[in-house]
Amino acid sequence: MADQRPDVLRAIAETRVSRRGFLAASGFTAMSAYLAACSVGGGSAPALFMFNWADYVAEENIAKFKEQFNISDENFTYDTYPSNEELFAKLQGGATGQYDVCCPTAEWVPDMVKEGFLEKIDWTKIPNEKYINPKFQGLWWDPNDEYLLPKDWGTTGISMRTNVVTEDVKTWKEFFEIAPKYSGRIVVVDSPGDVFTAPLKALGYSLNSVDPGELEQARELLMGLAPHVLALNSDTYEEPMKTEEAVLGLTWTGGIDEMLGDPAYADTTKYVIPEDGTLYWMDVWTILKGAPHLEMAHNFLNFIQDPEVQAVETETNYYATANEEAKKHIDPEILNDPIVFVPDEIVDSGLLEPAQAVSLDENRQRIWEEFKSSIGG
Amino acid sequence: MTAGAPAVEGRPPAPARAGVREGPSRLATTLLVLPAGLWYLFLLILPIGIVMLFSLGNRGETGGYAGGFTFANYEGAFRNPSPFVTSLYLSIAGTVACLLVGLPLAYFIATRAGKRKTLFIILLVVPFWTSFLIRTYSWLILLGRDGLAGWFVDVTGNESFRILGTDAAVLLGLVYGYLPLMVFPLYVTLERMDRTLLDASKDLGAGRWATFRQITLPIALPGLITGSILVFIPMMGEYVIPQILGYGQTFTIGNALVLRFLEFRDWPAGSAQAVGLIFVMFVTISFYLWFTNRGRQVREQSVL
Repeated sequence: MADQRPDVLRAIAETRVSRRGFLAASGFTAMSAYLAACSVGGGSAPALFMFNWADYVAEENIAKFKEQFNISDENFTYDTYPSNEELFAKLQGGATGQYDVCCPTAEWVPDMVKEGFLEKIDWTKIPNEKYINPKFQGLWWDPNDEYLLPKDWGTTGISMRTNVVTEDVKTWKEFFEIAPKYSGRIVVVDSPGDVFTAPLKALGYSLNSVDPGELEQARELLMGLAPHVLALNSDTYEEPMKTEEAVLGLTWTGGIDEMLGDPAYADTTKYVIPEDGTLYWMDVWTILKGAPHLEMAHNFLNFIQDPEVQAVETETNYYATANEEAKKHIDPEILNDPIVFVPDEIVDSGLLEPAQAVSLDENRQRIWEEFKSSIGG
Repeated sequence: MTAGAPAVEGRPPAPARAGVREGPSRLATTLLVLPAGLWYLFLLILPIGIVMLFSLGNRGETGGYAGGFTFANYEGAFRNPSPFVTSLYLSIAGTVACLLVGLPLAYFIATRAGKRKTLFIILLVVPFWTSFLIRTYSWLILLGRDGLAGWFVDVTGNESFRILGTDAAVLLGLVYGYLPLMVFPLYVTLERMDRTLLDASKDLGAGRWATFRQITLPIALPGLITGSILVFIPMMGEYVIPQILGYGQTFTIGNALVLRFLEFRDWPAGSAQAVGLIFVMFVTISFYLWFTNRGRQVREQSVL
């Protein structure tokens, strides 16, 4: 949090930074789990093989879990994937049966169910499920609450360095209006679902729109933005913001929160949830089909939703938990941080729209590629 | 890689396979060649076949490959030729830059370094001990606002000056990443060079430039060709360096492939584009080999 100027190299290894990132580094992870599975065997020793975003579970909790369930170091695997796309591709490529639990973003769950990647969760084994805020249950991605246990959630919004950006930007519409003024100093996350949110919401449409006419209007806004963009960056978008190489951003909260925790940037950094609406994402715990340790997978899901354990998660990751009981144990400073825990009135206002599985829409793909190949003009 | 081999021979040597041996030695030959043969079959021929098959199929409902027979993917693959052009231009520029840096370096190590030869070779290899990704990220610091670009801004007062996020930064990353692949083949050929030839050339009145052009360069040519191809091929497919040092502003064919396979989950479209890449590389390399060999023969004839 309040470290002095973390450098880029540290940022790579950094927890929240790589959370929603794209680092093409985890090529051998599936293989290593496979080998681990071979060497351990289907054996009787308690074990858990996890497939997850990098550093997405507090070390402290992992240690506690291993101790509680008597799992030795070699029987606990934590392999990582850098994006939902890659997780899906690896499961399509045959990584099922090697892992027990994984942690996709919720809108990916229906397709994973369709592909037969997921096991139904046996809720009788997860009493701690009762702490989950019903607001986050029964949503479109799992209407009958069969396959997922909410992990944490967050938003996509506008970030800025207020010492340079003097306008009081409150909406996506204003974001597009002032973009030319800060030409060459805008950073955007490399994630189509998030990027489409901006123009579609500025135009007053659903961020999940697949209507060709609406998308065409969005395309015009995006192509107007493209020449002014400095970088497409999901891993370390806060780095150019720190040096003021970029002063305006379409980003997530993790990296910005890191800046807000650092006295060097705190006073001049701002994150806005746009008033014309934006996307919220939710990461969820799921159990994989053919899990070698089905019982232990359930044990883990129950363990991680223990209020005190979950509070440590939030304090480590800086993402809002869906576990109401856990809030009682969370440091008030984090609990009252409107970036981490979006205020209830915003949550209930309908301003936040959950992402849907629209990434395979042809028009979206065409526009996204055109946008990507036009960055910087 | 072996594509450079044919060029090594000036003209095909007379086939001298008088005594193809029989019996156990033949068995040994078969056994020894078998791993390489299987390698080619399973890791080259078969995958290319699969890619070609996929390129004619349809995308599955949730992504992936779903069979079928259509040419629509090829139409889509070439609809936007700019990534091909970008990659081609960067790879050619990168190869030339590697050559400009690598040839003098290889020449120096091979002929002038003396006892320190081994030291220089080790120094060339040492960076490979660190992860490629880490090394590329390190350039972010060196070239960024806290590094070279910041210094330029301070000196010139030009606030908008930057290196990262430009083609120049990508090019630098490419040359840095692949230089050893150029230097080693060049070093090997130059190291074997008979230096008395240079003395002879001098004795016959040739200047430095003439000696370089007519003696050193022809001798180095096999290494030069191999090295060029070794750096050119991976540069064509490179996507991490443009992503990191280019800030995503340089959109290469490698980036387009990642987009299709991972983000769009459209394996057939990605396969079609991959076939396109193979085709572009095949044409480029064939032309290059033809061009360099043609030059060689003309020169040899002129020597005769």
